[in-house]
Amino acid sequence: MERISPHQFMTLGAAVLMGTTFLPVASTVTGAGGRDGWMSVLPAFALGIPYGLMVLSLSAQYPNKNLLQISETLFGKWIGKIIGVMYISIAGYFAGLLLGQCGDIYERSIMPLTPIGVFYFGGLFLVLYLVSSGIEVFARFTEVIFPLIVIALALNISLSIPRIEQGELMPILSEGLKPLFWGGLKIAPFAMEYILFLVGILNFLPTGKQDHGQLKKGVWRAVLFVGILNTLVTLMQILVFGPSETIRLLYGLLVLGKMVEISRTVAGVESIFLGVWLGALVIKVSALFFMVTWGLETVINLKGLIWDLAVCVVFMGIAFGFVRGHSLIREIGLVDDYLILPFTSVWILTLWGVSRWKQGAGAS
Amino acid sequence: MKGNGGKGQKIGFILILILCILLLDGCWGKREVEQLAPLIGVGIDLGQKPDTFLITEQYALPKKGGATASDVEGWTYSYEVSSAREINEMSSKILNLVPFMGSLKVIVVSEDVAKAGFNDILDFAHRFSEFRRSLYLVLAKGKAQDLLNLKLRKGELPAKFIKSNIETGDTISAFPKVRLGHYLTVLGRKSTAPILPVVESIKSGDEGIEYKAEGEDGVQELRIQGAGVLRGDRLVDLLTDEETKGYMWLENNVIHRLINTVGIGESTVNFSGQVLNSKTKYKVKSNNGTIELQYQIKTSITVDEVLGLKKQLSEPEWLELMKEAEKIFAKVIEKECELSIKKERELGLDFLGIGRHIEQKNPAYWKTVKDQWEEKVSDSPVSLDVQVTIHHSGMSSSSATTN
Repeated sequence: MERISPHQFMTLGAAVLMGTTFLPVASTVTGAGGRDGWMSVLPAFALGIPYGLMVLSLSAQYPNKNLLQISETLFGKWIGKIIGVMYISIAGYFAGLLLGQCGDIYERSIMPLTPIGVFYFGGLFLVLYLVSSGIEVFARFTEVIFPLIVIALALNISLSIPRIEQGELMPILSEGLKPLFWGGLKIAPFAMEYILFLVGILNFLPTGKQDHGQLKKGVWRAVLFVGILNTLVTLMQILVFGPSETIRLLYGLLVLGKMVEISRTVAGVESIFLGVWLGALVIKVSALFFMVTWGLETVINLKGLIWDLAVCVVFMGIAFGFVRGHSLIREIGLVDDYLILPFTSVWILTLWGVSRWKQGAGAS
Repeated sequence: MKGNGGKGQKIGFILILILCILLLDGCWGKREVEQLAPLIGVGIDLGQKPDTFLITEQYALPKKGGATASDVEGWTYSYEVSSAREINEMSSKILNLVPFMGSLKVIVVSEDVAKAGFNDILDFAHRFSEFRRSLYLVLAKGKAQDLLNLKLRKGELPAKFIKSNIETGDTISAFPKVRLGHYLTVLGRKSTAPILPVVESIKSGDEGIEYKAEGEDGVQELRIQGAGVLRGDRLVDLLTDEETKGYMWLENNVIHRLINTVGIGESTVNFSGQVLNSKTKYKVKSNNGTIELQYQIKTSITVDEVLGLKKQLSEPEWLELMKEAEKIFAKVIEKECELSIKKERELGLDFLGIGRHIEQKNPAYWKTVKDQWEEKVSDSPVSLDVQVTIHHSGMSSSSATTN
């Protein structure tokens, strides 16, 4: 079986956690938490740390098994299978929606006349190629692309500094801490998407004791890095647009990119940013594709190119089912809030709790 | 297949790639640069028919055989339409080129449209992805169409002139720079009234400006001066040049400014100079239970001109004079600020953003007044603390005297 190194695990984890979260994060968190919403981004992402450590501790307890297999061991075959089917369905449906978002972003912003199917097909083709090449190639791909995504984000943020409006961030905490909770609740699903990926990737991680420590560090670093970056993205949008406009703008970061001007000569660099961010979308959809294939293999023992192609057809079907951009964005929010967050948070916590309890019972 | 990649599958991928290359002979909706008509200015007036707008579009294309890249030829068209999107269809029919909105630099809103409200007609400019929120918004005194159709003496296109005038405006900081994005952000604040700079055409002989005009009406120059105050998207009143300058101080928007003390105080000696830098800070103080906003303006000035000095001064006398000049400059600034504050109170509209400053510094108090802010703004206590530092008085001290 292929194995990835702890460094690849960290980069891959960060890239999957990041995905395209930088596009909706500001609008989502400000909509829920108001002007102070940016403060809840990092804590909400940090929720991925305890959950990530729980997943790794389960992995250490049951080496060479993913969490679906561990669920079958701890909860029994049928409950394990039901969880597996839910895992596959959520990952598959969400991947289809994100593929749809790929079309939505490009059609809305820089290529309005290109048939939307071209984006779906182009994106999915890259995804299929990566998935077919295996997890190690995927990890290496993220090692190349993720730094570019980060550089593009850093450039977009720093070049937007001249556009900052005076005092848009103030007053701080005027509404108390409650809005931060609501803001955090909207961001927590992003961390849970990452946990869902960890669930399946466990089989491909190194199993040495020293490696285990490095994997833990990898979780910390990935979560904090992405959390801080997304906080900066949110902060910059509030500083430039103010809270009302941040909420209203669907992809505020693209609008920021459109406003970048260097010495009145270089403008319209948003297309370059968008090119790089396609990589982020491909990474996220590929990760979800992997999750579906791992799930299919574990739960119903289906694997091979035929099934990969079948998954592609399902993804395309879902994407084409949501060509209405506004419905798509709403659906992504609903899946995040009402499927991914409750399913992952309850499942992992229960699994970890039961495992600890059984371990304790076994010891006594 | 994972990792090993069967030979057949690799061939399959290669075939798909070849198919893509063969089928995708270019981008959908691609537009060659030569086929584009770059739009640089838009004017919005009220149309003749009800619920219509007269929209003027100014395009600029590089001149064929032009000496430099900045040599452009411009076309200006006006159309009566009920929605902004409709113009594309009309201009496409006449232009045999595709209008390109990404190059738009200025939107000129006429006074009449501004009085009626213009958010609806502006919606296209921030919804359609080609536009940039960095474009400038200005208010036209009179018709926007007339301004954009003006033949300027330098041969420059009016939209281009307005844009470059705004961008070089930091040297005088006499009017606000309002980008579309800024306008929308201020609208979102709710308690603050947006403000737009005013563009007007000037004739030879207007307000002491004279030039040799060609043509019948003699109007061949544009000027940005003053500003319009809006309630939401509707124009309520215009600020004078001095009131606008006061706004610039109070909003911390002064970068450089040319300033003179003629007509201030009883001193026979007057000064003019340039503001090197300026910083306005805001302090919210509680004064016997009332919340007062204090503006603290700190400015550095160089004295470039001394008028009315009849004798040579010794060094201590010169130092004393410069200290006096600092006080007089401070009075000039105070006067401009007071005019602006007076106007805010008269209008009952918070274009100075006093409410936002109170909200930032004392959110608890703000919560108690925000719902009645428009009634409270007229008597909200405000004070000024202006401090001027004269850095130097140029290449000489004292003045040349006749005796």
